[in-house]
Amino acid sequence: MPDVKGVLLPAYVLADESGSMGPYRRELSDGLLSLCESLRAEPMIAAKLRLAVLGFSDDVQVRLAIADMRTETTVPQVTIRGVTNYGAVFKDLLYRIPADVQWLRGQGYKVHRPVVFFLSDGQPTDGNGWRSAYGTLVDKSQTPAAPNIIACGIGDAKPGTMVEVATSEQFAFVAKPGVNIGAAISEFFAALVSSLVESSQALNSANPTLVVNRPDQFTMAIDEV
Amino acid sequence: MASRQPPGQAAPHGGWPRIEVQPPSVAFEPGPPRQSAFDVPDTECEGWSTDRFTLRAASVRGDSHRWPRRAKPRQDCVRATVHERTGTLVFAVADGVSGAIHSEYGAREACRAAIETLVEQLVRGGQIDLGAVVRHAVSRLTEYTQWRLGMRPDEAPSIKDVSDLFATTLVTGIVVPMADGGVLVDVCRVGDSGAWVLDRTRAPYDAELYTPLFATKTGAGKRFVSNRVAALPQLPAELERTQVQLNASDTLLVGTDGFGDPLGDGDGEFGALFANQLSHPPAPLWFAHVLDFSRETFDDDRTLLAVWPTHAGEGR
Repeated sequence: MPDVKGVLLPAYVLADESGSMGPYRRELSDGLLSLCESLRAEPMIAAKLRLAVLGFSDDVQVRLAIADMRTETTVPQVTIRGVTNYGAVFKDLLYRIPADVQWLRGQGYKVHRPVVFFLSDGQPTDGNGWRSAYGTLVDKSQTPAAPNIIACGIGDAKPGTMVEVATSEQFAFVAKPGVNIGAAISEFFAALVSSLVESSQALNSANPTLVVNRPDQFTMAIDEV
Repeated sequence: MASRQPPGQAAPHGGWPRIEVQPPSVAFEPGPPRQSAFDVPDTECEGWSTDRFTLRAASVRGDSHRWPRRAKPRQDCVRATVHERTGTLVFAVADGVSGAIHSEYGAREACRAAIETLVEQLVRGGQIDLGAVVRHAVSRLTEYTQWRLGMRPDEAPSIKDVSDLFATTLVTGIVVPMADGGVLVDVCRVGDSGAWVLDRTRAPYDAELYTPLFATKTGAGKRFVSNRVAALPQLPAELERTQVQLNASDTLLVGTDGFGDPLGDGDGEFGALFANQLSHPPAPLWFAHVLDFSRETFDDDRTLLAVWPTHAGEGR
Protein backbone atom coordinates (compact mmCIF):
# COMPACT_ATOMS: atom_id res chain seq x y z
CA MET A 1 0.00 0.00 0.00
CA PRO A 2 1.41 3.43 -0.87
CA ASP A 3 2.29 5.80 1.96
CA VAL A 4 -0.06 8.50 3.09
CA LYS A 5 1.26 11.54 1.21
CA GLY A 6 0.21 13.93 3.91
CA VAL A 7 -2.69 15.16 5.99
CA LEU A 8 -4.52 18.09 4.41
CA LEU A 9 -7.02 20.67 5.58
CA PRO A 10 -9.53 21.43 2.80
CA ALA A 11 -10.66 25.06 3.18
CA TYR A 12 -13.51 26.78 1.35
CA VAL A 13 -14.03 30.51 1.12
CA LEU A 14 -17.67 31.42 0.34
CA ALA A 15 -17.81 35.02 -0.81
CA ASP A 16 -21.14 36.82 -1.12
CA GLU A 17 -21.35 38.29 -4.65
CA SER A 18 -24.90 39.64 -4.36
CA GLY A 19 -25.72 43.09 -5.71
CA SER A 20 -25.40 44.79 -2.34
CA MET A 21 -21.69 43.84 -2.29
CA GLY A 22 -21.14 46.00 -5.40
CA PRO A 23 -19.55 48.95 -3.57
CA TYR A 24 -17.07 46.56 -1.94
CA ARG A 25 -15.98 44.60 -4.97
CA ARG A 26 -12.49 46.05 -4.78
CA GLU A 27 -12.04 45.01 -1.14
CA LEU A 28 -13.27 41.51 -1.97
CA SER A 29 -10.82 41.21 -4.87
CA ASP A 30 -7.94 42.66 -2.85
CA GLY A 31 -8.73 40.31 0.02
CA LEU A 32 -8.61 37.27 -2.25
CA LEU A 33 -5.34 38.46 -3.80
CA SER A 34 -3.84 38.97 -0.36
CA LEU A 35 -5.02 35.49 0.69
CA CYS A 36 -3.34 33.87 -2.32
CA GLU A 37 -0.11 35.83 -1.91
CA SER A 38 0.08 35.13 1.81
CA LEU A 39 -0.21 31.38 1.24
CA ARG A 40 2.38 31.43 -1.55
CA ALA A 41 4.79 33.08 0.87
CA GLU A 42 4.27 30.22 3.31
CA PRO A 43 5.05 27.08 1.33
CA MET A 44 5.10 24.74 4.32
CA ILE A 45 1.75 26.03 5.52
CA ALA A 46 0.28 25.97 2.02
CA ALA A 47 1.49 22.38 1.54
CA LYS A 48 -0.95 21.30 4.25
CA LEU A 49 -3.95 23.17 2.83
CA ARG A 50 -6.12 22.90 -0.22
CA LEU A 51 -8.12 26.06 -0.89
CA ALA A 52 -11.29 26.64 -2.88
CA VAL A 53 -12.99 29.99 -3.49
CA LEU A 54 -16.68 30.05 -4.36
CA GLY A 55 -18.77 33.09 -5.19
CA PHE A 56 -22.47 32.90 -4.32
CA SER A 57 -25.59 34.87 -5.09
CA ASP A 58 -28.44 33.28 -7.12
CA ASP A 59 -26.19 30.29 -7.48
CA VAL A 60 -22.64 29.23 -6.67
CA GLN A 61 -19.85 29.82 -9.15
CA VAL A 62 -16.38 28.40 -8.79
CA ARG A 63 -13.76 31.16 -8.61
CA LEU A 64 -11.00 28.74 -7.66
CA ALA A 65 -11.46 24.97 -7.70
CA ILE A 66 -9.77 23.27 -4.77
CA ALA A 67 -6.09 23.97 -5.33
CA ASP A 68 -2.58 23.71 -3.98
CA MET A 69 -1.71 27.37 -3.46
CA ARG A 70 2.02 26.77 -3.86
CA THR A 71 1.51 26.10 -7.53
CA GLU A 72 -1.75 27.89 -8.30
CA THR A 73 -0.99 31.00 -10.37
CA THR A 74 -4.47 32.40 -11.03
CA VAL A 75 -6.14 34.83 -8.66
CA PRO A 76 -9.86 34.27 -8.15
CA GLN A 77 -12.04 37.04 -9.60
CA VAL A 78 -15.44 37.91 -8.13
CA THR A 79 -18.49 38.95 -10.16
CA ILE A 80 -21.19 41.02 -8.46
CA ARG A 81 -24.61 39.70 -9.40
CA GLY A 82 -28.07 38.65 -8.15
CA VAL A 83 -29.46 38.00 -4.68
CA THR A 84 -28.31 36.17 -1.54
CA ASN A 85 -29.40 32.58 -1.89
CA TYR A 86 -28.02 30.65 1.10
CA GLY A 87 -29.71 27.46 -0.09
CA ALA A 88 -27.57 27.47 -3.23
CA VAL A 89 -24.47 27.55 -1.05
CA PHE A 90 -25.33 24.58 1.11
CA LYS A 91 -26.70 22.49 -1.76
CA ASP A 92 -23.43 23.10 -3.61
CA LEU A 93 -21.25 22.21 -0.63
CA LEU A 94 -23.33 19.11 -0.02
CA TYR A 95 -21.96 17.51 -3.15
CA ARG A 96 -18.73 19.48 -3.56
CA ILE A 97 -17.07 18.75 -0.24
CA PRO A 98 -17.53 14.95 -0.25
CA ALA A 99 -16.35 14.86 -3.88
CA ASP A 100 -13.25 16.92 -3.07
CA VAL A 101 -12.47 14.82 -0.02
CA GLN A 102 -12.82 11.64 -2.06
CA TRP A 103 -10.55 13.10 -4.75
CA LEU A 104 -7.89 14.09 -2.21
CA ARG A 105 -8.01 10.61 -0.70
CA GLY A 106 -7.63 9.18 -4.17
CA GLN A 107 -4.46 11.25 -4.48
CA GLY A 108 -3.10 9.48 -1.41
CA TYR A 109 -3.85 12.09 1.27
CA LYS A 110 -5.59 11.86 4.59
CA VAL A 111 -7.84 14.79 5.37
CA HIS A 112 -8.79 16.84 8.36
CA ARG A 113 -12.41 17.84 8.67
CA PRO A 114 -12.98 20.53 6.03
CA VAL A 115 -13.52 24.13 7.05
CA VAL A 116 -15.79 26.72 5.40
CA PHE A 117 -15.33 30.47 5.80
CA PHE A 118 -18.68 32.07 4.95
CA LEU A 119 -18.88 35.84 4.35
CA SER A 120 -22.23 37.52 3.66
CA ASP A 121 -23.61 41.04 3.82
CA GLY A 122 -27.25 40.09 3.81
CA GLN A 123 -30.04 37.96 5.12
CA PRO A 124 -30.95 34.92 3.02
CA THR A 125 -33.30 35.87 0.22
CA ASP A 126 -34.58 32.30 0.09
CA GLY A 127 -36.21 32.54 3.54
CA ASN A 128 -35.97 29.20 5.28
CA GLY A 129 -35.26 27.38 2.02
CA TRP A 130 -31.61 26.85 2.97
CA ARG A 131 -32.22 24.99 6.20
CA SER A 132 -32.83 21.53 4.79
CA ALA A 133 -29.60 21.39 2.76
CA TYR A 134 -27.70 23.00 5.63
CA GLY A 135 -29.01 20.43 8.08
CA THR A 136 -27.89 17.57 5.89
CA LEU A 137 -24.49 19.19 5.25
CA VAL A 138 -23.54 19.59 8.90
CA ASP A 139 -25.01 16.25 10.09
CA LYS A 140 -22.01 13.92 10.37
CA SER A 141 -24.24 10.85 10.23
CA GLN A 142 -25.55 11.92 6.81
CA THR A 143 -22.44 13.72 5.57
CA PRO A 144 -19.28 12.13 6.99
CA ALA A 145 -17.25 15.00 5.54
CA ALA A 146 -19.47 17.58 7.29
CA PRO A 147 -17.44 20.78 7.53
CA ASN A 148 -16.80 23.20 10.36
CA ILE A 149 -18.40 26.48 9.25
CA ILE A 150 -17.17 29.90 10.32
CA ALA A 151 -19.76 32.57 9.52
CA CYS A 152 -18.96 36.27 9.30
CA GLY A 153 -21.75 38.78 8.76
CA ILE A 154 -21.40 42.35 7.55
CA GLY A 155 -23.95 44.98 6.55
CA ASP A 156 -27.48 43.63 6.86
CA ALA A 157 -26.50 40.12 7.99
CA LYS A 158 -28.03 39.53 11.41
CA PRO A 159 -26.16 37.97 14.35
CA GLY A 160 -28.84 35.32 14.80
CA THR A 161 -28.44 34.19 11.22
CA MET A 162 -24.65 33.91 11.56
CA VAL A 163 -25.11 31.86 14.72
CA GLU A 164 -27.42 29.53 12.79
CA VAL A 165 -24.98 29.18 9.90
CA ALA A 166 -21.87 28.63 12.03
CA THR A 167 -21.33 25.14 13.40
CA SER A 168 -20.28 26.53 16.78
CA GLU A 169 -21.22 29.72 18.59
CA GLN A 170 -17.51 30.50 18.78
CA PHE A 171 -17.40 30.45 14.97
CA ALA A 172 -20.03 33.20 14.42
CA PHE A 173 -19.00 36.84 14.02
CA VAL A 174 -20.62 40.10 12.92
CA ALA A 175 -19.04 43.41 12.06
CA LYS A 176 -19.37 46.00 14.78
CA PRO A 177 -22.22 48.49 14.20
CA GLY A 178 -21.16 51.47 12.13
CA VAL A 179 -17.89 49.93 10.99
CA ASN A 180 -16.75 50.60 7.44
CA ILE A 181 -17.82 47.52 5.51
CA GLY A 182 -14.86 47.65 3.14
CA ALA A 183 -12.49 47.65 6.10
CA ALA A 184 -14.43 44.78 7.67
CA ILE A 185 -14.01 42.72 4.49
CA SER A 186 -10.25 43.34 4.60
CA GLU A 187 -10.19 42.27 8.23
CA PHE A 188 -12.14 39.13 7.35
CA PHE A 189 -9.41 38.07 4.95
CA ALA A 190 -6.62 38.96 7.38
CA ALA A 191 -8.25 36.78 10.04
CA LEU A 192 -8.84 34.06 7.46
CA VAL A 193 -5.12 33.94 6.63
CA SER A 194 -4.05 33.86 10.28
CA SER A 195 -6.65 31.19 11.07
CA LEU A 196 -5.44 29.02 8.20
CA VAL A 197 -1.78 29.48 9.16
CA GLU A 198 -2.36 28.69 12.81
CA SER A 199 -4.72 25.81 12.09
CA SER A 200 -2.29 24.33 9.63
CA GLN A 201 0.41 24.37 12.29
CA ALA A 202 -1.86 23.17 15.06
CA LEU A 203 -3.55 20.35 13.19
CA ASN A 204 -0.30 18.58 12.43
CA SER A 205 0.97 18.89 15.94
CA ALA A 206 -0.38 17.64 19.22
CA ASN A 207 -2.53 20.72 19.58
CA PRO A 208 -6.15 19.71 19.36
CA THR A 209 -8.29 22.35 17.72
CA LEU A 210 -9.09 24.29 14.62
CA VAL A 211 -7.85 27.82 15.28
CA VAL A 212 -10.38 30.52 14.42
CA ASN A 213 -9.26 34.11 14.90
CA ARG A 214 -11.92 36.78 15.29
CA PRO A 215 -11.46 39.46 12.66
CA ASP A 216 -10.74 42.94 13.95
CA GLN A 217 -13.82 45.15 13.63
CA PHE A 218 -15.97 42.07 14.32
CA THR A 219 -17.61 40.84 17.49
CA MET A 220 -18.78 37.37 18.31
CA ALA A 221 -22.35 37.07 17.06
CA ILE A 222 -24.82 36.65 19.90
CA ASP A 223 -28.25 35.39 19.01
CA GLU A 224 -31.23 37.29 20.38
CA VAL A 225 -33.87 35.28 22.21
CA MET B 1 34.64 31.63 9.25
CA ALA B 2 32.10 29.38 7.59
CA SER B 3 29.99 30.93 4.84
CA ARG B 4 26.60 32.11 6.02
CA GLN B 5 23.32 31.08 4.50
CA PRO B 6 20.59 33.71 4.61
CA PRO B 7 17.74 32.55 6.84
CA GLY B 8 14.94 30.90 4.94
CA GLN B 9 17.00 30.15 1.85
CA ALA B 10 17.94 26.67 0.73
CA ALA B 11 20.91 25.27 2.59
CA PRO B 12 23.84 24.03 0.50
CA HIS B 13 24.13 20.28 0.35
CA GLY B 14 26.88 19.17 2.66
CA GLY B 15 28.13 15.65 3.18
CA TRP B 16 24.79 14.39 4.48
CA PRO B 17 21.93 15.77 2.42
CA ARG B 18 18.60 15.02 4.05
CA ILE B 19 17.05 11.73 3.10
CA GLU B 20 14.03 12.57 0.97
CA VAL B 21 10.79 10.66 1.10
CA GLN B 22 8.73 11.68 -1.92
CA PRO B 23 7.45 14.32 -2.12
CA PRO B 24 10.15 16.11 -0.07
CA SER B 25 9.69 19.33 1.87
CA VAL B 26 11.21 22.64 0.77
CA ALA B 27 14.89 23.15 1.67
CA PHE B 28 15.78 26.12 3.84
CA GLU B 29 18.23 27.22 6.51
CA PRO B 30 16.58 26.96 9.95
CA GLY B 31 15.97 29.95 12.15
CA PRO B 32 17.07 30.10 15.79
CA PRO B 33 14.55 29.14 18.46
CA ARG B 34 13.59 31.87 20.93
CA GLN B 35 16.48 33.17 23.01
CA SER B 36 15.41 31.41 26.22
CA ALA B 37 15.63 28.01 24.51
CA PHE B 38 19.42 27.96 24.24
CA ASP B 39 19.70 24.64 26.05
CA VAL B 40 17.26 22.82 23.79
CA PRO B 41 19.40 21.85 20.80
CA ASP B 42 17.95 21.25 17.36
CA THR B 43 18.93 17.57 17.48
CA GLU B 44 19.92 15.12 20.19
CA CYS B 45 21.04 11.56 19.74
CA GLU B 46 22.16 8.70 21.91
CA GLY B 47 23.50 5.21 21.40
CA TRP B 48 25.00 2.41 23.43
CA SER B 49 24.78 -1.30 24.07
CA THR B 50 24.71 -3.69 26.99
CA ASP B 51 25.25 -7.43 26.68
CA ARG B 52 21.46 -7.85 26.17
CA PHE B 53 20.41 -5.07 23.85
CA THR B 54 21.49 -2.14 21.73
CA LEU B 55 19.84 1.25 22.01
CA ARG B 56 19.61 4.13 19.58
CA ALA B 57 17.58 7.25 20.28
CA ALA B 58 17.22 10.63 18.64
CA SER B 59 15.03 13.70 18.83
CA VAL B 60 14.98 16.13 15.90
CA ARG B 61 13.33 19.55 15.51
CA GLY B 62 10.69 19.49 12.81
CA ASP B 63 10.63 21.87 9.86
CA SER B 64 7.62 23.73 11.25
CA HIS B 65 9.73 24.71 14.26
CA ARG B 66 12.79 25.43 12.12
CA TRP B 67 10.95 27.77 9.74
CA PRO B 68 12.61 31.15 10.34
CA ARG B 69 9.42 33.22 10.58
CA ARG B 70 8.08 31.09 13.40
CA ALA B 71 11.10 29.25 14.75
CA LYS B 72 10.59 27.50 18.06
CA PRO B 73 12.62 25.02 20.08
CA ARG B 74 12.14 21.32 19.65
CA GLN B 75 9.27 20.24 21.90
CA ASP B 76 9.97 16.50 21.85
CA CYS B 77 12.27 14.72 24.26
CA VAL B 78 13.73 11.25 24.79
CA ARG B 79 15.66 9.90 27.76
CA ALA B 80 16.93 6.42 28.60
CA THR B 81 19.16 4.71 31.11
CA VAL B 82 20.01 1.25 32.41
CA HIS B 83 19.27 0.01 35.90
CA GLU B 84 22.69 -1.44 36.52
CA ARG B 85 21.85 -4.27 38.92
CA THR B 86 19.19 -5.87 36.71
CA GLY B 87 20.35 -4.63 33.31
CA THR B 88 16.83 -3.27 32.71
CA LEU B 89 16.50 -0.49 30.15
CA VAL B 90 14.35 2.40 31.34
CA PHE B 91 13.03 4.83 28.75
CA ALA B 92 10.71 7.78 28.26
CA VAL B 93 9.60 9.67 25.15
CA ALA B 94 7.52 12.85 25.33
CA ASP B 95 5.95 15.28 22.88
CA GLY B 96 5.25 18.71 24.36
CA VAL B 97 1.87 20.08 23.27
CA SER B 98 2.61 22.98 20.96
CA GLY B 99 -0.09 25.15 22.51
CA ALA B 100 1.66 25.05 25.90
CA ILE B 101 3.97 27.99 26.53
CA HIS B 102 7.01 25.94 27.58
CA SER B 103 6.16 22.50 26.29
CA GLU B 104 9.85 21.84 25.55
CA TYR B 105 10.48 21.87 29.30
CA GLY B 106 7.27 19.98 30.00
CA ALA B 107 8.45 17.15 27.76
CA ARG B 108 11.90 17.12 29.35
CA GLU B 109 10.63 17.15 32.93
CA ALA B 110 8.07 14.42 32.23
CA CYS B 111 10.85 12.21 30.81
CA ARG B 112 13.16 12.93 33.75
CA ALA B 113 10.46 12.23 36.33
CA ALA B 114 9.44 8.99 34.60
CA ILE B 115 13.00 7.70 34.41
CA GLU B 116 13.73 8.58 38.03
CA THR B 117 10.56 6.91 39.29
CA LEU B 118 11.12 3.75 37.29
CA VAL B 119 14.71 3.47 38.51
CA GLU B 120 13.51 3.97 42.09
CA GLN B 121 10.95 1.20 41.63
CA LEU B 122 13.60 -1.12 40.19
CA VAL B 123 15.93 -0.36 43.09
CA ARG B 124 13.13 -1.10 45.53
CA GLY B 125 12.17 -4.33 43.76
CA GLY B 126 8.69 -5.79 43.35
CA GLN B 127 6.07 -4.90 40.75
CA ILE B 128 6.52 -2.00 38.39
CA ASP B 129 3.72 0.54 38.91
CA LEU B 130 3.47 2.54 35.67
CA GLY B 131 0.45 4.41 37.00
CA ALA B 132 2.61 5.78 39.80
CA VAL B 133 5.24 6.72 37.24
CA VAL B 134 2.76 8.83 35.30
CA ARG B 135 1.34 10.39 38.46
CA HIS B 136 4.84 11.32 39.57
CA ALA B 137 5.42 12.99 36.20
CA VAL B 138 2.29 15.07 36.80
CA SER B 139 3.56 15.98 40.28
CA ARG B 140 6.83 17.13 38.75
CA LEU B 141 5.04 19.29 36.19
CA THR B 142 2.91 20.74 38.98
CA GLU B 143 5.97 21.59 41.10
CA TYR B 144 7.62 23.11 38.06
CA THR B 145 4.53 25.24 37.44
CA GLN B 146 4.50 26.34 41.06
CA TRP B 147 8.10 27.48 40.72
CA ARG B 148 7.56 29.07 37.30
CA LEU B 149 4.58 31.09 38.53
CA GLY B 150 6.38 32.13 41.70
CA MET B 151 3.76 30.53 43.95
CA ARG B 152 4.25 29.93 47.65
CA PRO B 153 4.74 26.28 48.69
CA ASP B 154 1.20 26.19 50.07
CA GLU B 155 -0.29 27.44 46.80
CA ALA B 156 -1.33 24.79 44.32
CA PRO B 157 -1.51 25.58 40.62
CA SER B 158 -4.63 24.45 38.79
CA ILE B 159 -4.56 21.71 36.17
CA LYS B 160 -5.10 24.47 33.61
CA ASP B 161 -2.07 26.39 34.91
CA VAL B 162 0.08 23.29 34.49
CA SER B 163 -1.42 22.45 31.12
CA ASP B 164 -1.00 25.99 29.77
CA LEU B 165 2.71 25.90 30.58
CA PHE B 166 3.88 22.32 30.29
CA ALA B 167 1.32 19.97 28.66
CA THR B 168 2.99 16.94 27.14
CA THR B 169 2.37 13.40 25.98
CA LEU B 170 4.40 10.59 27.54
CA VAL B 171 5.34 7.04 26.59
CA THR B 172 7.44 5.32 29.22
CA GLY B 173 8.42 1.87 30.31
CA ILE B 174 11.10 -0.74 30.69
CA VAL B 175 12.83 -3.42 28.64
CA VAL B 176 13.65 -6.34 30.91
CA PRO B 177 16.25 -9.00 30.03
CA MET B 178 14.75 -12.32 31.13
CA ALA B 179 16.66 -15.25 32.58
CA ASP B 180 15.62 -17.46 29.63
CA GLY B 181 17.33 -15.12 27.18
CA GLY B 182 14.13 -13.34 26.14
CA VAL B 183 13.38 -9.67 26.45
CA LEU B 184 10.12 -8.30 27.91
CA VAL B 185 8.77 -4.82 27.20
CA ASP B 186 6.36 -3.16 29.63
CA VAL B 187 5.15 0.20 28.36
CA CYS B 188 2.38 2.73 28.95
CA ARG B 189 1.34 5.98 27.36
CA VAL B 190 -0.68 9.14 27.78
CA GLY B 191 -1.49 10.90 24.50
CA ASP B 192 -0.82 10.11 20.88
CA SER B 193 2.85 9.13 20.91
CA GLY B 194 3.30 5.48 20.05
CA ALA B 195 5.24 2.24 20.17
CA TRP B 196 5.73 -0.47 17.58
CA VAL B 197 7.52 -3.77 17.14
CA LEU B 198 9.43 -3.95 13.86
CA ASP B 199 9.74 -7.53 12.62
CA ARG B 200 12.95 -7.30 10.62
CA THR B 201 12.33 -10.64 8.90
CA ARG B 202 9.40 -9.07 7.02
CA ALA B 203 11.37 -6.12 5.57
CA PRO B 204 11.12 -4.19 3.38
CA TYR B 205 7.39 -4.49 2.52
CA ASP B 206 4.78 -6.33 4.52
CA ALA B 207 1.43 -5.51 6.04
CA GLU B 208 2.71 -6.79 9.38
CA LEU B 209 6.18 -5.27 9.25
CA TYR B 210 5.28 -2.92 12.10
CA THR B 211 2.96 -4.05 14.88
CA PRO B 212 1.59 -1.06 16.79
CA LEU B 213 1.48 -1.54 20.54
CA PHE B 214 -1.15 1.22 20.81
CA ALA B 215 -3.89 2.42 18.44
CA THR B 216 -2.57 4.78 15.76
CA LYS B 217 -4.27 7.91 14.41
CA THR B 218 -3.38 7.75 10.71
CA GLY B 219 -3.62 4.07 9.90
CA ALA B 220 -5.98 2.60 7.30
CA GLY B 221 -9.65 2.94 8.11
CA LYS B 222 -9.37 6.33 9.77
CA ARG B 223 -11.79 8.48 7.76
CA PHE B 224 -10.90 11.82 9.25
CA VAL B 225 -7.74 12.56 11.15
CA SER B 226 -8.26 13.93 14.62
CA ASN B 227 -5.53 15.47 16.69
CA ARG B 228 -7.55 15.61 19.89
CA VAL B 229 -5.09 14.06 22.30
CA ALA B 230 -4.92 13.50 25.98
CA ALA B 231 -1.81 15.00 27.49
CA LEU B 232 -0.32 15.36 30.93
CA PRO B 233 -1.20 16.80 33.40
CA GLN B 234 -4.59 15.31 32.44
CA LEU B 235 -4.71 11.67 33.44
CA PRO B 236 -6.86 9.21 31.52
CA ALA B 237 -9.52 7.23 33.36
CA GLU B 238 -7.56 4.10 32.49
CA LEU B 239 -3.89 4.13 31.61
CA GLU B 240 -3.02 2.50 28.27
CA ARG B 241 -0.46 -0.19 29.11
CA THR B 242 0.83 -3.17 27.23
CA GLN B 243 3.46 -5.90 27.61
CA VAL B 244 5.18 -7.71 24.77
CA GLN B 245 8.03 -10.15 24.41
CA LEU B 246 10.63 -9.35 21.76
CA ASN B 247 12.09 -11.99 19.48
CA ALA B 248 15.69 -11.79 18.35
CA SER B 249 14.51 -10.47 14.98
CA ASP B 250 12.33 -7.76 16.52
CA THR B 251 13.19 -4.14 17.16
CA LEU B 252 11.19 -2.12 19.66
CA LEU B 253 10.38 1.38 18.42
CA VAL B 254 8.99 4.12 20.64
CA GLY B 255 8.26 7.44 18.99
CA THR B 256 6.26 10.63 18.81
CA ASP B 257 3.69 11.35 16.12
CA GLY B 258 6.36 13.08 14.05
CA PHE B 259 7.47 9.52 13.27
CA GLY B 260 4.16 7.71 13.76
CA ASP B 261 2.08 9.87 11.40
CA PRO B 262 4.21 9.35 8.29
CA LEU B 263 4.67 5.68 9.22
CA GLY B 264 0.92 5.05 9.17
CA ASP B 265 0.46 1.31 8.80
CA GLY B 266 4.14 0.96 7.96
CA ASP B 267 3.61 -0.95 4.73
CA GLY B 268 4.68 1.82 2.33
CA GLU B 269 7.92 3.47 1.24
CA PHE B 270 8.41 5.23 4.57
CA GLY B 271 8.09 1.99 6.52
CA ALA B 272 10.46 0.28 4.09
CA LEU B 273 13.02 3.08 4.49
CA PHE B 274 13.13 2.68 8.25
CA ALA B 275 13.03 -1.12 8.10
CA ASN B 276 16.04 -0.97 5.79
CA GLN B 277 17.93 1.60 7.86
CA LEU B 278 17.21 -0.24 11.11
CA SER B 279 18.04 -3.74 9.88
CA HIS B 280 21.09 -3.34 12.12
CA PRO B 281 21.78 -0.62 14.69
CA PRO B 282 23.22 2.33 12.76
CA ALA B 283 25.70 4.81 14.21
CA PRO B 284 23.82 7.17 16.55
CA LEU B 285 24.50 10.22 14.38
CA TRP B 286 23.21 8.38 11.32
CA PHE B 287 20.14 7.28 13.26
CA ALA B 288 19.38 10.96 13.93
CA HIS B 289 20.07 11.80 10.30
CA VAL B 290 17.58 9.20 9.08
CA LEU B 291 15.00 10.60 11.48
CA ASP B 292 15.62 14.04 9.95
CA PHE B 293 13.98 12.82 6.73
CA SER B 294 12.43 15.41 4.44
CA ARG B 295 8.83 14.81 3.53
CA GLU B 296 6.20 17.32 2.47
CA THR B 297 3.54 18.12 5.10
CA PHE B 298 5.27 16.01 7.78
CA ASP B 299 7.02 18.86 9.56
CA ASP B 300 6.44 18.07 13.23
CA ASP B 301 9.29 17.29 15.66
CA ARG B 302 10.35 13.66 15.44
CA THR B 303 11.61 11.45 18.22
CA LEU B 304 12.41 7.77 18.03
CA LEU B 305 13.94 5.26 20.41
CA ALA B 306 14.91 1.83 19.06
CA VAL B 307 15.97 -1.26 20.96
CA TRP B 308 17.51 -4.36 19.37
CA PRO B 309 17.65 -7.35 21.71
CA THR B 310 20.84 -9.40 21.69
CA HIS B 311 21.61 -12.67 23.33
CA ALA B 312 24.28 -12.73 25.98
CA GLY B 313 27.72 -12.60 24.40
CA GLU B 314 26.37 -11.91 20.91
CA GLY B 315 27.41 -8.25 20.83
CA ARG B 316 26.86 -5.83 17.96
